[in-house]
Amino acid sequence: MSKSDHAAIGAVLSGDKNAYADLVRAHGRSVFRVAWRITGNEADAEDVTQETFLRGYRRLESFQSRSNFGTWIYRIAVRCALDKLHIRHPEQERQALEDSNGEPAFVQIADHAPGPEQLVLSREIAAFRETAMASLTPLERAAFTLRHMEGCSTEEIAAALDVAPEAAKQAVYRAVHKLRNRLALLRVRT
Amino acid sequence: MNHLSHGELIDHVYGEGASDAAEHLEACVGCAEAQRALEDDLAEISSPEAPEPDSAYEERLWHALSPQLIPYPRTRQIWLRPAFWLSLGTAVACAALIVTAFYAGRGWEHRYRPHTATSTAPAPAQTKIMVVLLSDQLERSERLLVQLKHANADDTEMLAPMRDEAQSLLAANRKCREEAEKTDDPDLTKALDRLEPLLTELANQPGGLNAASILRLQDEMNAKGLLFEVRVLRSRLPDRQHPKGGVA
Repeated sequence: MSKSDHAAIGAVLSGDKNAYADLVRAHGRSVFRVAWRITGNEADAEDVTQETFLRGYRRLESFQSRSNFGTWIYRIAVRCALDKLHIRHPEQERQALEDSNGEPAFVQIADHAPGPEQLVLSREIAAFRETAMASLTPLERAAFTLRHMEGCSTEEIAAALDVAPEAAKQAVYRAVHKLRNRLALLRVRT
Repeated sequence: MNHLSHGELIDHVYGEGASDAAEHLEACVGCAEAQRALEDDLAEISSPEAPEPDSAYEERLWHALSPQLIPYPRTRQIWLRPAFWLSLGTAVACAALIVTAFYAGRGWEHRYRPHTATSTAPAPAQTKIMVVLLSDQLERSERLLVQLKHANADDTEMLAPMRDEAQSLLAANRKCREEAEKTDDPDLTKALDRLEPLLTELANQPGGLNAASILRLQDEMNAKGLLFEVRVLRSRLPDRQHPKGGVA
């Protein structure tokens, strides 16, 4: 952890709440980025970023000074983003949890995303990505984002999502399987 | 040959595959093909570029956050806290107690150690002098008692020196007895007590020693076992108290 982070945390815990502004300025953008990648939209990412720093402030006393504040707030951001997705897709997550016992099960969900024709017409990768990601449960989406886009290990994903490593791994497997199915369908239609 | 599962292929792509997965991929054309297809698909799902917030984003974020943050209790300077003074006072009191106890202990030792030493064990020089005196006293007493044992009542020339020696021993005997009492030696005190009446009679026999008084004193000496007692006492003294060629 940088000296400035350490000093700011010490000042906040000593009663100077304005010192927290230094931490917000130093880590605000990285928190926003991971929040955006998991939630997929800017408005939710801003909400998540604000909630992340709010939670971080309230839990600051439990922060171990030998840890890295950036890593610590990153994990909180992932949890906040996941919570946001749970609110957005509660039924999707419940179904995924019911299917998560035993061998990896691949969730069949209703496709509320735009049809393949529209995707073909637009030919925008961003549109495809959004559609494909929308088919994932919050846990799968978060796990895949951390694995594929943030380069986290299974252990790091498990810690950030507060699940067992095997559960984190299975979430990634399911996400990849769903995304590949979407991709195959897109190729056939085009 | 067991082919790699979808999960094993995914683990391998992300660098967490089992060590034998790579060997299998080199040997198995089917799995290698599946691996390449997976990599191609994942490459298409590229990391989206997050929109870059404007330059005032952090300030807006802070202004949104700030009203919701309740300041942590302000920590006062340590010397302004009552707990600090309470702890300091306790520490000082403990230290004072320890120092007082230490010096009180030292004072007590200085005050009582010399008395104890004097009463329980005489100084080495004093002890040595006492031993020499006692040794001399017992040696002379033994010699006198031997003379008395073998005294011939008709030999008047022998009686006078015995009386003189008894007179001399009587004073020394009392001195030794006093010292024996101080050193808390009951056996020695008792023996010297029993010896004193005999020396007194030898020294102060009214009308001088005669055959009858010699016989009576010999009986008294034998009855009390005085000679044996004096020899036992002498044997308890250090070796120097046993001169070679001692009295038989």
